[in-house]
Formats: sequence, C-alpha cells, structure tokens
Amino acid sequence: MTRVLVVDDAATVRLYHTSLLREAGFEVAEAANGLEAVEAAMIDSYDLFVVDVNMPKMNGYTCVETLRSETVGTAAPVLMISTEDRPGDADRAYQAGANLYLVKPVSAERLVRVATMLTTGKGPDA
Amino acid sequence: MNPLLAQFLAEANDLLASVDDGLLQLERNPGDPELVNEVFRAAHTFKGSSGLFDFPELTRLTHAAEDLLDAVRGGRLALDSGMVDDLLAAFDLIRGWLAHVTTHERLPATAGNDAAGLITKLRAPLGGGPEAADQDQGPAVVRRIDPPPDWLAELGTQWLIETATWLDTTSSTLRFLRYLPDRDCFFRAEDPLHLVRQVPGLDKLVVIRPDEWPSIEDYDEYACLLSFVLATRASAGELDYLFRYVPDQVAVVELDAAAINRHLAGEDEEEAAPVAEAGAEPLHVDAELAADARAVLTAAHRTLAVGEPSGTQLLALTGSVVSAAYALGVPLDLTGADREAVNAAIEGVLGRAPAEGAAQPPGVDPPVLEQLAARPAPEPAGRADDAGGQVGTRVLKVDQEKVDRLMELVGELNVAKNGLTFLAAAAEEEFGSRALSRRIKDQYAGLHRIAEELQAAVMDVRMLPLSVAFSRFPRLVRDLSRRLGKTIELVTEGEDTMADKDVIEALGDPLVHLVRNSLDHGIETSGERVAAGKPATARLTLAAVADGDAVLVEVSDDGRGVDPERVKRKAYEKGLISEEELESLTDTEAVDLVFRPGFSTADQVSDLSGRGVGMDAVRASVEKLGGSVTMRSQLGSGTTTRLRLPLSMAVTQVMVVSVGGQRFGIPVDLVVETVRVPAAEMGRVLHQDVVVMRGEVVPVIDLARALEMPWSQEESRDRAVLVVSVNGQRVGLLVEQFHREVDVILKPMEGLLAHAAEFSGTALLGDGLVLLVLNLKEVLGLAARVA
Repeated sequence: MTRVLVVDDAATVRLYHTSLLREAGFEVAEAANGLEAVEAAMIDSYDLFVVDVNMPKMNGYTCVETLRSETVGTAAPVLMISTEDRPGDADRAYQAGANLYLVKPVSAERLVRVATMLTTGKGPDA
Repeated sequence: MNPLLAQFLAEANDLLASVDDGLLQLERNPGDPELVNEVFRAAHTFKGSSGLFDFPELTRLTHAAEDLLDAVRGGRLALDSGMVDDLLAAFDLIRGWLAHVTTHERLPATAGNDAAGLITKLRAPLGGGPEAADQDQGPAVVRRIDPPPDWLAELGTQWLIETATWLDTTSSTLRFLRYLPDRDCFFRAEDPLHLVRQVPGLDKLVVIRPDEWPSIEDYDEYACLLSFVLATRASAGELDYLFRYVPDQVAVVELDAAAINRHLAGEDEEEAAPVAEAGAEPLHVDAELAADARAVLTAAHRTLAVGEPSGTQLLALTGSVVSAAYALGVPLDLTGADREAVNAAIEGVLGRAPAEGAAQPPGVDPPVLEQLAARPAPEPAGRADDAGGQVGTRVLKVDQEKVDRLMELVGELNVAKNGLTFLAAAAEEEFGSRALSRRIKDQYAGLHRIAEELQAAVMDVRMLPLSVAFSRFPRLVRDLSRRLGKTIELVTEGEDTMADKDVIEALGDPLVHLVRNSLDHGIETSGERVAAGKPATARLTLAAVADGDAVLVEVSDDGRGVDPERVKRKAYEKGLISEEELESLTDTEAVDLVFRPGFSTADQVSDLSGRGVGMDAVRASVEKLGGSVTMRSQLGSGTTTRLRLPLSMAVTQVMVVSVGGQRFGIPVDLVVETVRVPAAEMGRVLHQDVVVMRGEVVPVIDLARALEMPWSQEESRDRAVLVVSVNGQRVGLLVEQFHREVDVILKPMEGLLAHAAEFSGTALLGDGLVLLVLNLKEVLGLAARVA
C-alpha cells in the first residue's frame, strides 16, 4: 500500500487530510511538526509527504530540506500545503525540495488527485 | 456534528487558552520573541483551520490578528497595550463565536459587523486602516453564482419566492443540492437518508418520489427510487466532505436571490418543455488532473531555474516530473538524467501536453479560493448571546457526563455491596447457617476492596488542578485593575494542587467575588499606597494547598485591610448586631460580620463587585460545597480570605445518629466528639441546657425538639451528646443513640422535600433505607426558634 506521512501542527487540518487520504486507500501516518516528521522518516520509509509550512519546533521548509539532506535522504515526492500565499513562498518550498506547493484549503478531490498522481507512473526504476 | 468540526472546536479551545495566556505574558515582556511566536502560531493555526469551514469572518479576523503579530514578530512593530487590548478583544469575540458554533454549527449572524471594527483596529498599526481591511475583504465579495438548475422547482414556488426575498435583503447566498442515489446504492452500504439528515444548516429538504411507481410485480424493494433536493447554509467544503463517497450522485449549486428569480421567471416558459439535464458542476477530472500535473512540471522547471538542487532533491524532482508526465499521457524515462536533461524533458512535455488549463498558475487552487470567499447566509434573527460560553469539549477529553455516570454507578455498587452484610446476617439468623454467613462475608470483603479501588480510580479521573480555577484571573485582574486605575501584581501559588472537578467548578464564582472585592475595596490606589508608605504596586495572591482531605484556597491582598470598628458600627446601624455586641465583639468576630447577609462595607455600590450580593453569598456557596470560609485582616496591611473545601464532593462521610427511632446523618467534618453525660451532670443556664466539658460550657440542643419529633429522654439514662462545630461555635446535640460512620453519595432533596432546608440531602444505605442528612446550621436555627 502507498504510505503517506501527513505533517501538520493543526490537529483539525491533520484530521481532514488524513481521513481524505485514508478513504482514498492510502496508508497514512501523522506527525505534528517537522521534527517528528524527520524522526518518522528516519525510522520508516514513505511514498509521499504532505507537509505544512508554519509549524513549531521545525518548520516545513527546514523539514523538507532535512528530508532531502544526507541525514534522511528520501527522494519521495513532497507536497507542501500552506496557509501562506505570499510571493516567494512557493519558491522557498521548491528550493527546499518540495515538488508541489498548494495553498490551504485544498479541496478533497484535489488532494487525492495530486497524491495519486505523485505516487504513480514512475516507471520500473523509480 | 461532523468529526472535523468537533476536532476544530476542541483544538480552538486549547488555542484560545494559550493565546490569552501568551498575550498577558507578552504585555509584561513585550520583547520576548518566543511568546510572540507562540501567539502568532495560535492565530495562524486558527486561520488555517477555519478555512476548512465556511467561517469567512473567522478567517478574516484571525488573518488580521496574524498580520499584526507577524509585524511584531518581524520587528516592524512594537507591541503596546492598546494592541494587546485589541488582540484580546478579537480572541474574546472568537470565543463567543465558537460557543455559537458549538450549538448552532455556524457563526452568529452578527459576525460580519462585530468583526469589521476589530479588523480595522488590528490593521491600523500596520498603516493599513480601513482600506486595507476592505482590500482583505475583496475576494469575499466575488461569489460564484451558478446558473439555476431546473430541479430547483422541487422546492416549491412559494418557498423559493420567500427565500429569494430573504436572500435579497441579506445579500447572501444559499447552497442547493440534488442527490440522486443510485438504484443499487443499498448494496454498497450507502444510506442516502442518513446522509441527507447529516447535512448541516439544513433549510429545506424535499424527498422526491419517482414519477411513477413500478407495478407490484416489478417492484424491487432493494432498489432506491427516491431522490433528494435540499437547501443548506453549509459550506462547499462541508458538503464535499459529507458526500465524499458519492460525489457523482450529487450536484451542488450556490445561488443568490437573482439566480432564484431567474429560475422563477423561466419556470413558466419551460413548463411544457422536456426537462433538460443541467449538470450543475460538470466534472472535468482529466482537465483538472492535467492542470495539477502541469503545476508540478512548472514547479520543477522553476526550481531548476532558480536553484541548484542537490542529489536527493534532483532525484525527487525527477520522480515528480515522471509522475506528472505520466498523468499527461507522456511516459518518460529519466533514469540517471542530469539537470539539463530533466529541464529539456519538462520543456518538451509542457510544449507537447494539451494546453488545457494553462491559465492556472501553479500553487493556486481557484475553486477552493472561491469556496472560501463564499459567505454563509446570516440567520434571520441574531442570537449572539453565547459569549463566554464553553467552546467545544473540556480539558477532560472524556465527556463529563460519562464520568458522572460512572461515579453514580460506583455509588450504586457500594449500596449493593453493603446489602451483602445484611444478607450475611440473615443467613445466620434466619437460616441458621453460620458457614454460609461466613462465605458471604468473605465475598463481601473481596467485593469491598474492588469497589474501593474502583471508587478511588474514578475519583482520580475527576481530579483537576487548581490552575483550571485560577486561569481566568490574570485576565480579570488585568482588566479590572486598569479600569480602577490601580497597579496590581497577581501571584498564584500551588496551582498544581488537585481537587475534584465539581469542587473546582463550584469554586469559580466565590473566587471571582473575593478577587473583585480585593481589587475594588481592599487595594488602594497607587497614590494612597505611596502615601501610606507601601510599594505603589499592590500584590494579590491566590494560593492553594492540600490539607488532608481538604483543599485550602487563600485570596490575600496587601491592601488597606478591614477596619473592625467600622464594620461593627455598620452592622449596628443595619441592625445586624445588638448594642451589647457592639461593645463586646472581638476584632476577629467583627471581621466575621462581613459574611452576614445584608452587609456591605462599601459606601458606594461599585459596578465591579456587583449589587446586592456580598460576602454572605460567598459563604453560602462555599458552605453548600461542604466547606467553610474565614477572613483574617490587619488594618492597614491587608486581608486574607481562606476557603476550606473538601477535596471531593462525590463521597461524603456522615455519622449516623438516631433519635426517636429515626436515623439521621451528620457530616463527619462537623463532628468534634461524642460524649455520654450522666443525667446529673447536665446543667441549665438561662433556659438553655448546657454541659460543661473540660471547663468549657457547651449549649446542648435537643434534636428531637428542634425537629418537632415526639421523643423524650428517659430521666435516668446517660445523655448521648454529639458535639459539633458550626460556624466556629461548639454545640451539643442531644440524641438517642450513636451509630457508625458511613461513606455516602449525597443526593439533593427533591420533590416535596426540596424546600426542607433542615436537610442537606438524602443517601441510600446498604440495607435499602434512606438516610436524611441534616443541615446543622438550619437545624440550630430551628432550635432557636422552637426555644
């Protein structure tokens, strides 16, 4: 089963994303901040990360950078979902290593659609 | 309530608490970046989560608060107390809104107006002013109004006309939904009726029967032939979530008055025409997928243009490009490709892929933004009086009622358990089986141990720290002291002390009263203090400490103290004490007079301490909890009020006594001792029976006479006197016989006996008898009247 890690400090948003993804057939784990996400990624492997930007302890950008760093080194796709919609935010996310940056709230269909797209069709080697 | 909203309310409650706390601390340490960050994050989380629901006012208000805090965080603004006031006011407003949401699942109708002023205020320090606030509201004005579908007619012309008029006056919109369940939906465990009933903010629901029912031979009771049309104030997101399993069976439109009127106007013309299926929200899944895929490619392209992705970053980027290209129907093999190769591949795909949805910039989700912008229809009559109510669930993550129920069951278990001792006695006496009696007693012992442990466990669940009761005071003291123009430092101690939740809850009002009294009357203005040689800043202390099975809570101030002479004079003027008492009362007794009903030392009634309720209300409510309240005061240097409360109100220990064959319970807390006095040693002073104990003369009250029961003591027998302490006074109660002490669950008096003040409640004993528990204060009052 495709494994997703949902990273968000807001419990409501986490519940929203988690339940939508679970219903779509993903296996979903949760983390309440960047640090927890990094710890989870070091223990387990995930096929997709859904990461919030503004979080305590470790924010989303640093979290994604760390996921992509040698310490963790995961090349799994990262979908960043943020409340921020300011110029430059998306660029920061992409430079950190995110693959798509969306602004909250993301509709139910879109979340599932994008999650499915990012986790399929990579061909035999990826 | 849907689980998402419930989760939001619970989270909101925690957030509000941390915001209040953070803001108050911030005011004292304005530069603390950690605190600013904490409050900012709370506002931010609020904004983000509120977007999931159709609460645009909430989103806008928290957005304004967040922007202000962001400026403070970034060092562009210095936080002043005016801003803190505005922020506190904003979160107070939100608290009120959420209380309304808890009961009505939508914001109050007045939300928009209430928020507008605050948003302007919050934005003012940013140089925004009202223009910026308007700008922020900009997107909210843009609503997506759909063409009216023909199935609107199902709702009835009359209703549509009324609704259109109402929508027109309030300039709002309503969502309309048609749900056509599949014929075989029952086989997929879908429950259309249940689903429809869960729609929040339902305004009108019409169940549509098929035009023609099948004949009885063809009728299939497992086929769903019904469909639904409804009007709701729910947000698109909520409907999305609710109907997530059956999106293809549902059509949603958002309409304003004009759209409905267009429908009404067109209705007559199309009446005879065949009904055309007007799909309200045609789903172009492929187009949307293509747009998302292009967004991923554009993002990758941009990343390569602005940065230098590291090994893993490039690997991930390549992966996402392959996925996106696959979704666009262009399979790629980029194994081992370098930057340039990936870049070229992206450009290739972007050039080749169908140009569908190219206008959409990456990272923005227009449908959702529009959903966000849509405003809920205000309700016709405003009911925004829920301010200050509880938001969502409490700190206890279990519903309190469940814990209460558990406690009740424990009580019933105790009673049932006690029944075994009577059974054991019966086994021996009636059936003559000592062996059986012993086995029952053994069983009882085992059951007793378990029941006690269970009771302790349940009591433990109910324990809360005193900090729950203290948490409101930083804010209260701050606001009041500012209004009074006094400088006051609040100190809290022993917040970790635990007590039963009922005690904590009941403590709230008396504490507020005492604190207000201190602020209002006890503490002087800075000028007076300096003149009296005291520090200008007054100190108010709230302290709690556990003391055996009681908890002591003290409210102390270093204010002007209570003047015993003035209190006595006032009490005399009001006719509360006699002339002799005016002379004879000690200072301590004089201070205690403030607890007398009808006493108030303040010459003017201030709006802070409230009118008509004084310290007597405090004493009454504390005594109702089975506690006591005392005051110590030093003229010129301060006052301390001490509340003594039982740790738990769930189980009361009572001493059982009997008089005239009737048993009564007396709270053990009040019992000093039990004595048997030979008849000859009973004395009489001024028509009052007394007994001399260790040199002290103790008045003795005949309980039977006080309760007007026909019973008189045999002359020759020793007198059984129960010495109790009521209001600090020792009094003996003449009874017939002492019995054991029992733990009981006290139930308040109900029905006809509800007004019998001489009893504080009833308790069920193990043998099934009902024990009346005496309210000694009232009983002594009765005795005085009888005498």
